[in-house]
Amino acid sequence: MKTRRFASGLALAALFAALTHAGELPNAKAVYDANCAGCHATGIAGAPRTGDAAAWSARFDTGINTLYGNAIKGKGAMPPKGGNASLTDAQVMAAVNHIVGLTAAPGAAPPAVRASAKPVETVKGGARVAADVAKGKLVYQAACAACHTSGLAGAPKLGDGAAWASRNGAGAGSLYISAIKGKGAMPPKGGNASLPEADVRAAVDFMLAQVRGELAPPKPTASSASTALTAAASAATAENVMAVSARGPVAHESQDPNAFNRLMVPPGRRNPSPAEDGIHDPSSPGTAQLQAPLRSFQSLPRSNLGNYVNWGAALGKKQIQPRWDARDPKAEATVMDLNIVREVKGSMPDVVFPHKQHTEWLDCSNCHPAIFVPQKGANQISMASIMLGQKCGVCHGKVAFPISECRLCHARQKNAGTRTAEAATAGGEKK
Amino acid sequence: MSASWRAVACAALAASVVALFGAAQEAHAEYGDVVINNYSDSAGMRPVVFPHWFHRVRFRCKVCHSDLGFKFKAGGNEINMLKIIDGQFCGACHNGSVAWPVENCDLCHSAKPGTPTQLHESSINLLSVPGAASTGASAASPIATKRVPAGKK
Repeated sequence: MKTRRFASGLALAALFAALTHAGELPNAKAVYDANCAGCHATGIAGAPRTGDAAAWSARFDTGINTLYGNAIKGKGAMPPKGGNASLTDAQVMAAVNHIVGLTAAPGAAPPAVRASAKPVETVKGGARVAADVAKGKLVYQAACAACHTSGLAGAPKLGDGAAWASRNGAGAGSLYISAIKGKGAMPPKGGNASLPEADVRAAVDFMLAQVRGELAPPKPTASSASTALTAAASAATAENVMAVSARGPVAHESQDPNAFNRLMVPPGRRNPSPAEDGIHDPSSPGTAQLQAPLRSFQSLPRSNLGNYVNWGAALGKKQIQPRWDARDPKAEATVMDLNIVREVKGSMPDVVFPHKQHTEWLDCSNCHPAIFVPQKGANQISMASIMLGQKCGVCHGKVAFPISECRLCHARQKNAGTRTAEAATAGGEKK
Repeated sequence: MSASWRAVACAALAASVVALFGAAQEAHAEYGDVVINNYSDSAGMRPVVFPHWFHRVRFRCKVCHSDLGFKFKAGGNEINMLKIIDGQFCGACHNGSVAWPVENCDLCHSAKPGTPTQLHESSINLLSVPGAASTGASAASPIATKRVPAGKK
């Protein structure tokens, strides 16, 4: 009975944490990032790592209230309130919920807990499936990504419809068995024997979900694929690429007519974790230790491009406090507040260059005199040269906000009469 | 008839271009991530990934690009491990006093072997290397769709 109550409490907490995660209460995440992540993200001092279901399962069994109590009062190496006495109990509890949400998304809690948690979950059946896949993603990143992202040792790559189609022929059930018991080069449970079977299944589900659009239901009959684009896609090897291409580039996409989109990064693929970003080697032991950008960015003001972070606003609001000197944390920037207006050709609004935002990050010598001659009219600037990495393009389009944020520079309306300070302050990164 | 055949050929060309450059599109690293592979591959190490975003949360641009003398050019600083252990470039901080020390090789040398030196997601990267080919492909497909109705007439 006690477990049961804990279980529904846990499920509620997890649901609550899932809501929190969706952005309802960013507070919990901020508290977690500021006070808990230092140890619980890395496992320092024996702290159970967030997302490590195996490490948490024994602790979950003690009940959510025990977890709250330990987090508030401290236990072993865990200091009271994570060492930040100024936190309220509610904030600590919210952070605990956040960890529970990340670790035991409904469906990933230990089996006994999960079974009794069902009554709550069935209310939100759809949410549970989504949560299973989300949990599967976490498991995947921890236990499977090393091989299945790169295709190491012949592993079918994540999202490679052709590679998975041949393995999915016998249905997901046999894939579960292969994943749990091992097969060929695939070690049992991906080499992590402590992984609960439910987690392995969730990871398989996640991997299958990545190719769902491309998988033909069981038997992929390429020969009779006159109409089925999906079957054609699954049979598309390098040799018969011509057969596929006869249907046009669409054959590479899933059947969703909106799937074709080469230049836009869909929201789910922005700020990928290092193992998934295409440049880090997922099989390198260092890659797994690197911080995922989203962990850092979630509490920062977002933008539409670049890192999807409004760095200027983050600095202005002191949400980040980058040092001005490598060794002296107290050194302050020498800020110069002077706007330079450049009248430009054509219909584009004139450019307002704010020294203020630039001197918050940079030293005069970074730009003057090598990139910009400090003299009016001495600098020829064009968008073409900027796009090729000259002038403003030395930073903008590389690390500072991208050039597609036209209005941040082209900020002053032509024929506006007076050069008002209002237009000038609209320049630079949004404040 | 021949027009529709040409449409198919155009589409085939477009698709094979997409297939050829599909690999290039797989990299969607963080804006400003720099891969440095001046010497790594030939020395049998993974190339270095420098995450700008991680460093700009902690330091202003000026610290590295003025005080430490990093040029604004991916791979343009000819950094090697000797300079680093002598306290230049990365070694000014990555010495165990400001940031973790150099024996954590894998934290920097973490790129896929063979990744060329480049600044990821930069305008010039999007305009030239892989982007140019995909622009060609997307230019070809509208032509194909235009010619199909012409063939029907």
